Amino acid sequence: MTLKVICPNCGPRYSTEFWFGGEVLPPEAPDAPNADPLQADFERVWLRINRSGVQGERWFHHAGCRRWLIAERDTRTNEFHGPG
Amino acid sequence: MAPADGGPASAAFDFEGRAISSNADDTIASALFRAGVRTFSRSFKYHRRRGLYCLTGDCPNCLMTVDGEPAVRTCVTPAAGVRRVTRGAGWPSAERDALSILWRLRALMPVGFYYKSMIRPRWVFPIAERVIRRIAGLGPVPRTPSGSTKERMNHHPDVVVIGGGIAGLSAALAAAEGGERVILVEEGAIGERIPPGALRDRIAALRDALSRHPSATILERATAVGIFEGPLVPVVGDDLLHLVHPLRIVVASGAVERHAVFPGNDLPGVFLGRGASRLAGVHGLTPGRAIVVATSTLEGLQHLDVLRRHAGDQRDATVVAVVVPAALASRVPAGIEVIADGTVVEALGSGALHSVVIEAAGRRRTVPCDTLVLSTGLEPRDGLLRQAMLESVRGAGDVTHPGCSEEEAEASGRQTGAAASTADWNVTNGAPPTSPNASGGFICLCEDVSVTEFEHAWDEGYRSTELLKRYSTVTMGACQGALCHAHLKAFICRRSPTSWAGRPTTSRPPARAIRLEDLAAGARVPVEHHTSLHHRHVGDGAVMDWAGSWKRPSNYGDVELEYWAVRRHVSLMDVSTLGKYRVAGPDATAFLEHIYPCRVDDLKPWRSRYTLLLNEAGYLFDDGLVCKLGDGSYYVSFTSSGGDGAESWLREWADALRLRVHIANMTASRSAINVAGPRARELLSRLTSDPLDAQAIPPGGLREVVVDHVPCLAIRVGFVGELSYELHHPSRQSETLWNSLLDAGRDLDVRPHGLDALKLLRLEKGHILIGQDTDFDTTPSKVGLDFAVKMNKPDFIGRTALQRIATLPRERSLLSMTFAGKRAPEEGAQLFAAGAHIGNLTSSRFSPVLGCGIALGWVRHPAGSPPARITARDTLGEYEGVVTRGPFYDPKGERLRA
Repeated sequence: MTLKVICPNCGPRYSTEFWFGGEVLPPEAPDAPNADPLQADFERVWLRINRSGVQGERWFHHAGCRRWLIAERDTRTNEFHGPG
Repeated sequence: MAPADGGPASAAFDFEGRAISSNADDTIASALFRAGVRTFSRSFKYHRRRGLYCLTGDCPNCLMTVDGEPAVRTCVTPAAGVRRVTRGAGWPSAERDALSILWRLRALMPVGFYYKSMIRPRWVFPIAERVIRRIAGLGPVPRTPSGSTKERMNHHPDVVVIGGGIAGLSAALAAAEGGERVILVEEGAIGERIPPGALRDRIAALRDALSRHPSATILERATAVGIFEGPLVPVVGDDLLHLVHPLRIVVASGAVERHAVFPGNDLPGVFLGRGASRLAGVHGLTPGRAIVVATSTLEGLQHLDVLRRHAGDQRDATVVAVVVPAALASRVPAGIEVIADGTVVEALGSGALHSVVIEAAGRRRTVPCDTLVLSTGLEPRDGLLRQAMLESVRGAGDVTHPGCSEEEAEASGRQTGAAASTADWNVTNGAPPTSPNASGGFICLCEDVSVTEFEHAWDEGYRSTELLKRYSTVTMGACQGALCHAHLKAFICRRSPTSWAGRPTTSRPPARAIRLEDLAAGARVPVEHHTSLHHRHVGDGAVMDWAGSWKRPSNYGDVELEYWAVRRHVSLMDVSTLGKYRVAGPDATAFLEHIYPCRVDDLKPWRSRYTLLLNEAGYLFDDGLVCKLGDGSYYVSFTSSGGDGAESWLREWADALRLRVHIANMTASRSAINVAGPRARELLSRLTSDPLDAQAIPPGGLREVVVDHVPCLAIRVGFVGELSYELHHPSRQSETLWNSLLDAGRDLDVRPHGLDALKLLRLEKGHILIGQDTDFDTTPSKVGLDFAVKMNKPDFIGRTALQRIATLPRERSLLSMTFAGKRAPEEGAQLFAAGAHIGNLTSSRFSPVLGCGIALGWVRHPAGSPPARITARDTLGEYEGVVTRGPFYDPKGERLRA
């Protein structure tokens, strides 16, 4: 399987040139007054949304520009929609 | 084109002791057939004789061991260049096989018998398995390493066309004419299977037109093995594995003539029409002397024509009868007996065909013959097409329209993607001359599955394609369902009213058998990093080994000598493999403060600190050093294997925290040599005028010094537990520096040490190696590195996770232990306390300086403190050990501070 990742610096390249960095997490919300910070951290580290559809993902272009990029991929079709 | 008489022999190969001559156009199978060989293999289960059948590479009958490689399809493999051919199964030989008795014992081996028998008593199965493995199968797997030097090549065409028939060539030509870059892949040589005539000429003309096109590439003797997401089409060629990444794919892999099922259908002498026609028309060989043709298609009549023309050349070969539907009877040339609307009900013979039983108009008659040619319609060779449920994949020709004419194939190739015509493509003129309800005969030639066995399986309750397939192993043999898939579907549809029952089975790659060495093409040579001193180490006789992607010296011949050089004199080590980075900018301090669990903001210029790297889960993944060069200017190092990944980690957090820092990877441009040993300072002072004393460079300090004209950053480090200076310098001056140090220290007995000595030296100091002594879920406190974690810092990566983990009971710790005696337990030895298994060793060595075994090991201690005494057990025996507190050597670090 090879996916075509769209790198903003290098253009569309095969996924074998990249390391996958996982889905983009939602921005950290300020702690709710009664929230347990340890539980919030646990969820942030270990739980993933695993969306069926378009999700933002981080990829590191190790065999190219050696920069991180954020791309939008449809997890159902593996189609990339370019940097998000 | 082969001359009719077979032509002059141009080569010869050895076939089980016989020399077989072959001409330029011969396949292995045709050369063998010419030499009189009729038994090409013994069947998988019953050891029945099997002869040539399809000659298109679709059936398992001609699989042989060729030059040590088992299961080669000899009917499509050119004879040229082949040295040695043997038949895989059969004892004592495939010709006279004592195991053919198994056919008489078939009642004892019903479908799935190995699932039901040999279960009890339990000791039976391992023995039976060994026996069965020897009896069944396609020949021994080679035991010697493959000498393959196959490389990978990537292609990025607009279109890849799989199949070099009329439809494939037309599709490729249309694409090329439309300005697209196109690659055409053909398993054999284009047109080689077609007898001379108009069709072959037409294919040759299309091929010429395509090969003249600048944007077209033709890959012959290249097999597309699958269609993967991407899309990606791996194509196995003679000397390359082609990775084709097209925008769209045309599958024009054609069709196989329908396998007919009736008792005796596997006898040598029964041929598919295209096979017989190829043998006669291409190779100039008559399949037999008395030929019966059974057909229901116009293609079958063409085969008849080829056979007759050829039989005419051979005085003693004749077509004795033709079985056709009445509608075609008038098209059979005069002079041949026509059996209109007849049905072949059985083939008779023992080891070879001697007659066929034909039923016509309610009467049965036996026709003596030695060859039966069957041409009863086409089954698409659609394995690749069914694999790919992608928009960009289209079929053309026989694979989507089985039985289409040449014109229709060309049209469908030219307009792949256009809506299929409404014409009824699968042209059969009347009922096929074989019965769909035959009560005997083999459905699957690969695994010897007969109709009777299907019925048994059905009665046992296996009533869907997927279940019946798995239970009977039909479609799972060498042909991957080319012959039997249609019969499997038809069988179920006849017996089950539900519409889903006869769904096609799932098609998965590889569509053709593929060698493991082809899968590994190009992977033979991994990326290998060398330091600037690599050739010096090799020249000095170093044993080199992998360390991450680097090659590093394990030792230079005498580990003990190298070890004592460090402990007693002075020694050098090439540590250029460390990951080295410059981190600078207004926010550099804040950045490092956040990514490291130790303090960075209180670090004074020209001082360094040992650092751990934690991920967000609080787990240890690397360690290294942070050196402060000035305000907002740092030099940081990581381990050799972690250095590459460290860059993505640094950049990830620099991005995430939106801090103003520059990160420069210096791993390649800066090399490093560690000068270690009690006389390290003495050696260096001979080459520099800069001060090196504990005042100028204290432990943990660093300083810019010039060593024999090479500008160095000298860092006092302590990994091996002796006075040592890591000299970081420009890589291109590495060899100068290395030579100067060796020359200047000759009277000090200076010598380089490798990783073997290093691993012992660091173990004596109780330093862990990340990856060897740690698991993926190791927290600093489990390995006694709490000192490097400052939980009172406001925040760092992994801090909250460590707080959370601290609320959980600790169950495992990495402990130091010593073992009396002259041998240390092996690394990986299991640990026991009071008879119970409690862990294992991760590092273990005999310490020359301490005179005992020293080790680090993981110990489970769910309740309270770990045991004080411990037993290690390895392959050689047991060792009594004592749990201690490290470090083993120089616990106060006095030598380090010298």
